[in-house]
Formats: sequence, C-alpha cells, structure tokens
Amino acid sequence: MTRRDFIARLRAGLAGLPPSAIADVAADYETHFADAEAAGRGEAEVAAALGDPDRLARELRAEAGLKRWEAERNPSAAANAVFAVLGLGAIDILILLPILLWVGGTLLGLFIAAVACFGVGAVVMVAGPFVISGAPTSALVLAGLGVMAGGTSLGAVSTLVTIASVNALVWYGRLHMRLLKPALESPGSLP
Amino acid sequence: MVEAVQVQLKKGVLELCVLALLSRGDAYGYEIASRLAKGIEMSEGTIYPLMRRMQADGLVATYLVESSTGPSRKYYRLTDAGRARLETQKTEWTAFSGAVNAILGGAE
Repeated sequence: MTRRDFIARLRAGLAGLPPSAIADVAADYETHFADAEAAGRGEAEVAAALGDPDRLARELRAEAGLKRWEAERNPSAAANAVFAVLGLGAIDILILLPILLWVGGTLLGLFIAAVACFGVGAVVMVAGPFVISGAPTSALVLAGLGVMAGGTSLGAVSTLVTIASVNALVWYGRLHMRLLKPALESPGSLP
Repeated sequence: MVEAVQVQLKKGVLELCVLALLSRGDAYGYEIASRLAKGIEMSEGTIYPLMRRMQADGLVATYLVESSTGPSRKYYRLTDAGRARLETQKTEWTAFSGAVNAILGGAE
C-alpha cells in the first residue's frame, strides 16, 4: 500500500466527521510518512507498520461518537454513540443485537405509556367535569392531575434508564477500544 | 495462548509506556511510535488514536514546532495530570510485576 492509498482509505473511513477533524487525523499520518521517509523507510513498509487504515478510522470515529455523547446528552448523540460502538465490530453483534432490541423496545413501550398516561390525565382533568356527570369536579381534576404526574414520573424514570443503558454500552465499547484490539495485531497479518 | 497473553499485556501497558517516554522529554508522533514499536511489537498507527485520547483526557498537551524538512511537527508534552497518572500507574505496575516475578521465581 502506498502513502496515497493509506491516506485515501483513512479519509474515506472517517467520512461523516467534521472536515477539520479529518484533516487533523490525516495530518498526523502524513507527518508520520514524511518522518519515516526521512529515516530511510519505504512507503509500503511504513504503511504496513501503521496497520489497517479502515480499522484505525473505525476506532477514531467511534471515539468521536462516544465523546459527543459525553458532551451533549441528547437522543441524536445517544443514537450516534450506539451506532459508533456497533460499528467498532469489537462486539459480537449476534449476541448484542437481541439484547439491544429488547432494551430499546421496552424503553420505547415505557415512553409511549408515559405519554399516554399524561394525555389521559389531561383529558380527565379538563374534559372530565363536563362529560362525566355525578362525580365532583374537584375529584376529577385531582384524579387527572395524579395520572398526569404518574405519566411524568414514568417518563423521567424511562429517560434515566435510557441514559444508563447508553452509558453501559459506551463503557463496553470503550473497554474494547481502550485495548485497541484489532489494530494491535502483528503488521504481518494485514492485507 | 502465550501470544494472546503478550498482546493483552502490551495493550495494558501502552499508555504507561507513552507517559514514561514523555516524562523524559517532549516528543513528536513518529518518535513515540517508532520508539515504542521497537520495544513492544505493535502497529505504529495505534499510537495516534491513543495520543488523541490521552490529549482529550488531559494527560498530554500538544504544541507545533516549525520543521525545516516538511510540515510543522506536533510535539506532545506531559501535563500535571499526566505526571500524576504516570506516578500511580508506575506504582501499580511495579507492585504487580513484582508480585508476578516473585511467583514465577518461586515456581522454578
């Protein structure tokens, strides 16, 4: 592999990151090639010693995704982090995917239930006194408020569980990434 | 089996090695990569993700130095946090390797 191939594959693998971040990473390896050349090493030898550019790119992207999640806790960053860890290929996806689907499905159900509770509570509180005759208005308003509060707390609990789940996955991904597992294989085994 | 153990060990001590290397003086990427690759057999490319992470963790800081041969070089230096990390990891490593050596020695 030539220097040009290596940098091109690295850049392609990093697509999606901010251009400045890609330029920074590419600059690291460009400088490495230049320094190695100055030390009298050939391009192919240097590229082989550097390791697989696709794997390097995957690790760097995953790291960026996890950092974003740690900086901004929002649903988009969470999805980003989950996909980053999956994209790492460090985890057996056949084992992880069913667990992930189960946890995701349960949480989605909880969220829907929370929104439904809130809606039902609101309807009971506002429309109840007009529709349901016989019951005292204050009781209906209180009951509606109670159901709404229940929905809100259910939603809050679901949010906390979601954050904890994503954190657990991120921790798991880190565990594999900190070890730099695939990239540390001997250079001889690379294509 | 022996090979797997070696790889695990290398992974675990890579950060410690980088910290120790930088404690002796600032260095640029190629220096760190080639110095470590010489001692511990590893892909040189893994150094850069590691350095990036250590920089994000505040263990190392970077500065640019103009180079006569090519683009300006990025030098890494230890931060105070990095120095503190080196001390703890060094202590842990010494205790751990000492214990392992004692057992290995005792087995002979």
